[in-house]
Amino acid sequence: MTPSTTSPTRRPEAVLLSAAALLVAALAVASLLVGKYPLTLDGILHDEMQRQVFLTLRLPRALTGVFGGFALGVCGFVYQTVFRNPLASPDIIGVSSGASAGAAAGILFLSGAAGITLAAFGGALAAVVLALGLSALDRGGQSGTIVLAGIAVHALAQTVLMCLKLTADPERELASIEYWIMGSLNGIKASALPVNLALCALCVAALFALHRQVLLLSAEEGEARMLGVNVTALRLLVLLAATLAVAAVVSLTGLVSFVGLLAPHAARLLCKGSRLPTLALSGLCGAALLCGADILARSVAATELPVSIFTSLLGAPFLVFLLVREGRKV
Amino acid sequence: MKQLQVNRITAGYHGRRVVHDLSFTLAGGQVLGVLGANGRGKTTLIKAVCGILPHQGQCLLDGTALEGLRPKALARLCGYIPQRSGLAIELSALDVVLMGFNPHLGLLQPPTPAMRRAASAMLETVGLPGRDRDSYLTLSEGQKQLCLLARALVGGAELLLLDEPESALDLRARHRTLHLLREFAAKGDRAVLLSLHDPNLALNFCDALLLVESSRAAGLVYPGKDSDEAITAALSRIYGPVCLRHCTDDNGQPHLVMLKEVDAP
Repeated sequence: MTPSTTSPTRRPEAVLLSAAALLVAALAVASLLVGKYPLTLDGILHDEMQRQVFLTLRLPRALTGVFGGFALGVCGFVYQTVFRNPLASPDIIGVSSGASAGAAAGILFLSGAAGITLAAFGGALAAVVLALGLSALDRGGQSGTIVLAGIAVHALAQTVLMCLKLTADPERELASIEYWIMGSLNGIKASALPVNLALCALCVAALFALHRQVLLLSAEEGEARMLGVNVTALRLLVLLAATLAVAAVVSLTGLVSFVGLLAPHAARLLCKGSRLPTLALSGLCGAALLCGADILARSVAATELPVSIFTSLLGAPFLVFLLVREGRKV
Repeated sequence: MKQLQVNRITAGYHGRRVVHDLSFTLAGGQVLGVLGANGRGKTTLIKAVCGILPHQGQCLLDGTALEGLRPKALARLCGYIPQRSGLAIELSALDVVLMGFNPHLGLLQPPTPAMRRAASAMLETVGLPGRDRDSYLTLSEGQKQLCLLARALVGGAELLLLDEPESALDLRARHRTLHLLREFAAKGDRAVLLSLHDPNLALNFCDALLLVESSRAAGLVYPGKDSDEAITAALSRIYGPVCLRHCTDDNGQPHLVMLKEVDAP
């Protein structure tokens, strides 16, 4: 008698998930082939030059688009749920500004793309640890404290970034910093990829495993506690996993706007409820958005454009379309 | 026999004491109603007993201090319904009820099919049959309260703490809820502590009433046992001039009714 699924939808979740997965797969294949230097399957197999382009440029880029986008979507869902705020995103606890400050320091003081990635990751990590550490000073462990600590850390990181920009050489370094902050999947080094993606996968897997607990955190503090949840510890654990995953992505790509915000909303509008299928769909929406935006970023103009332009350009109308369609149904 | 013993509890917000040096005992199988005017500490008392609010004093359930328990152990012993749930994400009613099983599950363990069946049956019991798949957020306030009641009952805790569980319910649902709580208390020898606003509901369904008057307890009264004079005197301290009447409905069921008299000018 009991239904096997309990989400308040009549739409089959499996169909939605398969469709989204197919779309992401198609975008991933397109991402491998599209670009200034067109590749063909035959060429990759037989031509040394094409194979090099494929392995060192296209493959890292497509992998980052798919897995990075997936992680941003999943983490956005987690942030919105844990902070009980539909506008929550990784920026809320300062991870993006930490990464920017780190990357700026990397551009100024280190050499090579791998160094910058490492510095960005360090900056993001420092911001997370600082924000969560500051919030732990409040014994009550309110979620509002984390937001306030995040705002403080965000302001601090912005100040550091400003100081670094002041000392930067306007011709080269300042331009690099600005370009990094705009975000791009261009020039991702294959060497930095395995560590970052592995960390990302680990954190995302942890979030999937803890999914039921994440939903419990969406209740009020005392309510969640009386449902047997160790609120403070669990919230720290979940936020740490989500933020590490985001840090691993943005340290590769620079700031990518809107993916973490839009993907969960799109997923919830497509597939009602907040259960596991919605979480997975949120990841797939993120993957499709980042991958699609990246393909456009490298193909519409003669020069490579920042990917954030297209995540916002694609994402905003899509969200509006979903909202309008949802409004008409009632 | 389950017994809740509250010893000299004092609690409040930002240094302001709302509940002051309150002690009482609630035996298993009994429903204790907390009555009092707005802002007199009903919610504070309930939050203090379940440890959401820091407090002085001690709450013992069968000799176990509730203060020292970890969240999971506490939740297994003690179920709680807040006045309003903070749940603000889209979840089905069944998923909300299933949250009640969390204290019995491991960190990564999903609810079992038996738990799903029990949750579904509980939704039917509280008066939401066939609403399993409905989104919790689209339920009316009253239906949300029923859903939370199902969540609290399904966990099978020995002590239930309910903060105005009937405030948004219609007349029938109110009576059904109080009947359910009585049944729940009597069947498993469990203790139920609830705050409520309607003295007539309290007089007819609760075994004992704790009357809270300006942060101190005006005393415990037992509607079935105490004299009308004693009950009237206690209720007057909260509500001003009142009188009690005994009535019988057409089925021969006796009722105790409190009538509010005009306040002295």
